[in-house]
Amino acid sequence: METRRTGEETIIRTEGVRYEYTRRDEEGNIEGTTIAVDGVDMTVRRGEFIAILGHNGSGKSTLAKHFNALLYPTEGVVWVTGCDTRDDARLWDIRAHAGMVFQNPDNQIIGQVVEEDVGFGPENLGVPTPEIWERVEESLRAVGMLEYRKASPNHLSGGQKQRVSIAGVIAMHPDCIILDEPTAMLDPVGRKDVIRAARALNDVERITIILITHYMEEVVYADRVFVMDRGRVEMSGTPREIFSQVTRLQSLRLTVPQATLMAHALREGGMPLPEGILTRQELVEELRRLMPHTSEGGD
Amino acid sequence: MLKDITLGQYYQTDSVLHRLDPRVKLAGTFLYILSLFIVADARGYVVAFVFLALCVGLSQVPLRFIFRGMRSIYFLLALTITFNLFLTPGEEIWRFHFLAITREGARTASLMGIRLIFLITGSSLMTFTTTPNQLTDGLERLLRPLRLFHVPVHEIAMMMSIALRFIPILMEETDKIMKAQIARGADFESGSIMQRARALVPLLVPLFISAFRRANDLALAMEARCYHGGEGRTKMKPLKYAGRDLGAYGILAGYLLCCIVLGRWIG
Repeated sequence: METRRTGEETIIRTEGVRYEYTRRDEEGNIEGTTIAVDGVDMTVRRGEFIAILGHNGSGKSTLAKHFNALLYPTEGVVWVTGCDTRDDARLWDIRAHAGMVFQNPDNQIIGQVVEEDVGFGPENLGVPTPEIWERVEESLRAVGMLEYRKASPNHLSGGQKQRVSIAGVIAMHPDCIILDEPTAMLDPVGRKDVIRAARALNDVERITIILITHYMEEVVYADRVFVMDRGRVEMSGTPREIFSQVTRLQSLRLTVPQATLMAHALREGGMPLPEGILTRQELVEELRRLMPHTSEGGD
Repeated sequence: MLKDITLGQYYQTDSVLHRLDPRVKLAGTFLYILSLFIVADARGYVVAFVFLALCVGLSQVPLRFIFRGMRSIYFLLALTITFNLFLTPGEEIWRFHFLAITREGARTASLMGIRLIFLITGSSLMTFTTTPNQLTDGLERLLRPLRLFHVPVHEIAMMMSIALRFIPILMEETDKIMKAQIARGADFESGSIMQRARALVPLLVPLFISAFRRANDLALAMEARCYHGGEGRTKMKPLKYAGRDLGAYGILAGYLLCCIVLGRWIG
């Protein structure tokens, strides 16, 4: 799963992005500045599935908001499909190219009916009415929510609401979808559904996905992973490269997936397991290979 | 469950009235209320009643729903009738100490009572047959000419529909905060009105904070989805007049004409 068809075309490129904001006390006096993002260089190519990992306050969400011109860098430049995000004339182009799904499922649904919410983006883009209907249908189908098109968002679960939000972004036909901690407020089932929907979009529709998260399990399927800490990109590479550095990840206050952690502990204990085991299935297979005579059964 | 609260009192069914364009229904309700103030005698009220009864019949909304909607105005109704009954000067027909009922009083009281009942039934019929969403859409279209006077019609309509979307969410949140505070010994139910009002302060503060946070998030989400006001926006469900809407306008005009004739020239 490491090397997949990814085009050469660059969708998002950042160069030396630095973002500072001023902290103020209760009277509004300036207390000082905090550097949220500190010199990030990143290139995302069309069709890639990128994951940005980081602990709370690592600057990952701030960085994400630069990708669709919700924030502008204090220093450095961000290009989205070749446009500088500070170019006001291209602002709506950029936002239409790079859609964004946020953390809180309730606070990003505008419509009172699922299909109306999905239609909100295309309405804003001035898409003609019949085409809006087509886009709404195809987007809801892509995230598996078509049967709920007439439902009220208030009656959906968190995971379903997030899939509706994703559909709302797809309906704008973006080149790239940025998911800013879409699963942070969801239960495990909802989390799986949302990640599955994102992967399907990447696989089938070839939409570039940038997933921002602090759950390591979710980045296993990414093409490339960036690990951020204190505003800097501390590590980058394929999931396997990243996960083979368990101690480093732990020092960045990230929780390593159980299987990886287990394999790491076994290796430390002297077992000849390879580095960078990602899933439980891989671990089981490796262990079977090492101990061929143990009885089958269980998982 | 708070989640299931439907705003207004939409009654889900598929009748001619439900299918009418919200603009027709808004205009109709307005004209109906207007007509109630034009007619001034029993004949006029008979016409108004027949028209209303026809609409109620067409709407397929059960009568008990309509009467239930009336409950909220019992007090107002009683007050109006009492004041008109006892305080209108004129020919006395009944007296008990200082309370006197006059012929004119009885007449005004009954007409006012009927007028009020018709008024409420007429306007609640609109909310029974129109979703809040359609209502906002209809209002946005009807008020569009006001843009000439720099009234932000689109923005007002957008605010209304966002409010409608968030009211159930905020209600649920109120419930949650209340329970959290009751669990820690807060008392919302006993004591004088002043005490109870004071107990609400610690409820309102977190509620307001959360409402502002949500508003902030929502604004960001709307911007991310390219929302930039009503300019250059298309509609997924644009309002379009169908034949029946034009017919309904015709009927309305006929009814209004009938009322004007009755109220002004005959009688």
